[in-house]
Amino acid sequence: MSGKSRREFLKKSITAGAIATGLSSSTLKAGPLNILSPDRMGVLVDTTVCVGCRNCEWACKDAHNLHAGNLDSYEDRKILETKRRPDHTALTVVNEYPRGKYSNLPIDVKVQCMHCDHPACVSACIVGAFSKQENGSVIWDTDMCIGCRYCMAACPFQIPAFEYDKALDPLIMKCDFCFDRTKEGNLPACVNICPVEALTYGPRTELIKVARKRIKRNPDRYIDHVFGELEVGGTSWMYLASKDFKELDFPDLGKNPAPGVSESIQHGIFAYFVPPVSLYVLLGGIMWITKRRKELGTEEKI
Amino acid sequence: MKKILAILLVLIFMGEINAQQSPGKDHSELNINCKTCHTCDVPTKDEPCLVVCPREKIATIYQKPEQTPELIVIDQLKDRYNPVYFSHKIHAQMSIMSGGCENCHHYNTSGPILKCNNCHQSSRQREDISIPDLKGAYHRQCMDCHREWSHETGCNTCHSPINDLKESEKNDFKKQLKGKDHPPVTEPTKIVYETNFEGGKLVTFYYDDHINNFKLKCNQCHARESCTRCHDVNHISSDKLILVKEKKSLEEHHKKCFNCHKENDCAKCHLDKQLEPFNHKQRTGWALNKPHSYLSCVSCHGSKQPYKKLDNQCVSCHKGWKKENFKHSVTGLRLDKIHSELSCEDCHTGKDYSVKPGCNGCHENYVYPNQKPGRLVGK
Amino acid sequence: MNHELVNPVPIKHKFFTPGVIVLFVIAINGLVFLMGRFFFGLGAVTNLNNEYPWGLWIGVDVAAGVALAAGGFTTAALGHVMHREEYHTIVRPALLTAMLGYTFVAIGVFVDIGRWYCIWHPLIMWNGNSALFEVGICVVIYMTVLYIEFLPVVTERFIGKVNLPGLLSGLNKLVDKILRLLDHGLSKTMFVFIIAGVVLSTLHQSSLGTLMVIAGPKMHPLWQTPVLPLLFLLSAVSVGFPMVIFESLIVSRSLKLKPEMHILSRLGSMIAPLLGIYLAFKIGDMFIRETFVYLSEFTTASVMFSIEIVLGVIIPLRMFLSPKVLKAPPLLFTASALVVFGVLLNRINNFIVAYTPPYSTESYFPSIGEISVTVGFIAILVLAYRFLVMNFPVISMPGKQTAQPTKYTIRGVEK
Repeated sequence: MSGKSRREFLKKSITAGAIATGLSSSTLKAGPLNILSPDRMGVLVDTTVCVGCRNCEWACKDAHNLHAGNLDSYEDRKILETKRRPDHTALTVVNEYPRGKYSNLPIDVKVQCMHCDHPACVSACIVGAFSKQENGSVIWDTDMCIGCRYCMAACPFQIPAFEYDKALDPLIMKCDFCFDRTKEGNLPACVNICPVEALTYGPRTELIKVARKRIKRNPDRYIDHVFGELEVGGTSWMYLASKDFKELDFPDLGKNPAPGVSESIQHGIFAYFVPPVSLYVLLGGIMWITKRRKELGTEEKI
Repeated sequence: MKKILAILLVLIFMGEINAQQSPGKDHSELNINCKTCHTCDVPTKDEPCLVVCPREKIATIYQKPEQTPELIVIDQLKDRYNPVYFSHKIHAQMSIMSGGCENCHHYNTSGPILKCNNCHQSSRQREDISIPDLKGAYHRQCMDCHREWSHETGCNTCHSPINDLKESEKNDFKKQLKGKDHPPVTEPTKIVYETNFEGGKLVTFYYDDHINNFKLKCNQCHARESCTRCHDVNHISSDKLILVKEKKSLEEHHKKCFNCHKENDCAKCHLDKQLEPFNHKQRTGWALNKPHSYLSCVSCHGSKQPYKKLDNQCVSCHKGWKKENFKHSVTGLRLDKIHSELSCEDCHTGKDYSVKPGCNGCHENYVYPNQKPGRLVGK
Repeated sequence: MNHELVNPVPIKHKFFTPGVIVLFVIAINGLVFLMGRFFFGLGAVTNLNNEYPWGLWIGVDVAAGVALAAGGFTTAALGHVMHREEYHTIVRPALLTAMLGYTFVAIGVFVDIGRWYCIWHPLIMWNGNSALFEVGICVVIYMTVLYIEFLPVVTERFIGKVNLPGLLSGLNKLVDKILRLLDHGLSKTMFVFIIAGVVLSTLHQSSLGTLMVIAGPKMHPLWQTPVLPLLFLLSAVSVGFPMVIFESLIVSRSLKLKPEMHILSRLGSMIAPLLGIYLAFKIGDMFIRETFVYLSEFTTASVMFSIEIVLGVIIPLRMFLSPKVLKAPPLLFTASALVVFGVLLNRINNFIVAYTPPYSTESYFPSIGEISVTVGFIAILVLAYRFLVMNFPVISMPGKQTAQPTKYTIRGVEK
């Protein structure tokens, strides 16, 4: 074994390492659009104001070319007896909860994508089809989607839905914050139709002030908690309620962004490809040493 | 509705609204704390530094419901719906039980009644999102109660689609409402509650005592009460008025009482027999005569519960009263010249002003009030 | 050094046996359900829904498949990187298992994703934040590496024996030349791929663990931990050798060969420390996060976790520590099978049992269709393995010098 062959070996190892990892080295740069604009918009949902008329459900379907039917058919309140979740036929639904033993009035809660500030779906999506837009919307590019449903596994609010019954071209579906409407300066369809303005559309920072003010002015009406202000690092949609959000089926989430841990692990393993390349070099070294030791052993034997 | 549903004050968007909606020339004389509306110490006309939304009870226009418009036609959505006929008078009568005019006119100053759209903007896309837009404000006023009443939230509940209504039917509304009143709400003298409390099953509540003697205002207890308090929300008996038994927790039940009464003294209210009406003389030995009967409890006893027993020394409350400056005529008796020169204890022996004064010190066989040391005057 | 005496040869054996026919039936049944999936959509065949987006196919076909194919890189590391040549006889079977395993992982992914015709998207659409992207890319590259590593077996089989049918026979010489060129080139560069294979394996075996970290509170705390990637890597490393032993013993039984106990026993003796490290991290993590409190509850999660740890780790760990077990084929097989079962269960637990979405109405259990497809795939894999070892020099037979001695052992490293 000469010095030359050793150098050659190392050279080869390094080149190979670079090839093996070089492909993914540019992935570090290749992340999906994830803008956290200070002017991002949001919606404040005041569940103490909502009357559960379900007009938003109709408007949403109407705006997204889903089968909406007649607005009058949404007056049927029987459907509120079961808890529903958004799916590919309805991107938003209203659920009803008892206000308490001592009141006839229910509490109505609209459910849709929360449009997180640090969205798990954006971080998770294998092809980077999801993006957080400047105006706060979390949207996705259907043409990129491969239908792996990792966004569904990642979402802390269990929002993305999938068209399981379609053999060809099944889509991931969720509320897109009416990106096509807001882009043109219109309000989201649900906000626009709400008769009691239980949904207030505005800059997120402004909405938090409004929410705090409402709680301060009506401490009997609200619990002192703006859901979505801090949950999973903040969401564009935020809620006010008269009782504990857990009783209204809101998930009990911490303040850390949902993709926080996984992204730091991911970036820790791939910190500028130092760990994989070092491992490569290390293994190459071991291989060379063991080989050399064996060769020496054989020579001695001979 | 536009004319009537008015809102007052506030004026964050001061400028023109402020100029137009002054709370009145002498509003500083009104019994309102300046800080209710102004944030700075010295508000000027140019810089009134008004708070955004006080929502205090500063409505000063208390019209009787009967003086208000009977019917209001809301017809802003002419192109899509027939007008909504709002029976204002009856609603005003109903809201007496529930906070009065401010229930809807939540922002009235002492000036003229404000229109909703003075504050509530008609466009949902707007700069100031701290208050609802006009559509939201209207619907909240109506739907908050109506949804409890009818369980219906559909548009057609109030808005009949255009062409659905004939011209003659529109006039019918006016006719129907003409002279129609909400039946007067009768006030009980007392209510005897039968409870299942072991220590004493009967609780006697003297309604008139609380209003007349304890000077409570209706809405101190009947805050935000809705129609369903008295009317059966399930429409089992549509005409008959029934007192709906409220399902309430123990705390809720007692909350209103505990605002004034001590919490741990069950036996005070829960008795085996009906309680006698409140009698200040019997209870305390001090007859509550004029002018003290005009006062509310707190003006003598202070707001701290439970009330402290007061002594019967006038100076305990009337701190400034001394022999030199006391005008005996406030008691209803102006002393004649001779008696006014005596010292107080000469007649009120032992400084006990709760008992009849004695004349025995100077006179024989004189008894007050058969013989008076002066002349009775109107108080 | 008696390894020259042991050389890989195509095994001569009857392909069809009653067992193989059963496997064929199972495979066809799976393919029938698979047709259903492609003609009527995922919803028609699987029990997946918006609450449970991932089920058996991801948990077993993909996650467990990747883990159980770990024999490929662990033996490569042992045999080639550490130059323990006595293990060379097991490198090829392990390599073949890994190659077939990863192929079926890729097919599993292809079947599971809704828009299968877009499966190539991750190759050009990159998201460096996504653990799934990293798994996907690594699996694709590693699979390529595995195929390259297997190429010498192909060249060895055909060099000097190229015999194309009919008209193509004119090309025999050319193909032979290409094969020789390939063989020559590979023998010089193979070590590059071997190391790359080990590095890529450590990367994606651990990233497979990162996958579920983002699910956060949806995952039962017994499994959800930031060290999941480490646990996945350690479990993959410790299941590598048991998997090799497991299948080597099955193959010997099935093909009527003498089990290579002298190698398997030595391999078995290395399992205990690896399992021990895995167990230590697993238990340590449990105590640091104080999740042992959940074990006092009697729930599906706690029972499954206990089975996974006791049956899948602790019992085989104890068995591998005993010399008696290492020497007796049935006991060695049992111990290895338990580890394989433990890791399989661990992946199922991580991806299916631990996953409880916030708005779940009923819990997920795989449908007949899903089970059929998964079992069918396993059957096809076994059949493919059987076919390949009968036609390619994979399994070493003692004392038989049927091929050139130095052609196929390790390329480039020793000459």
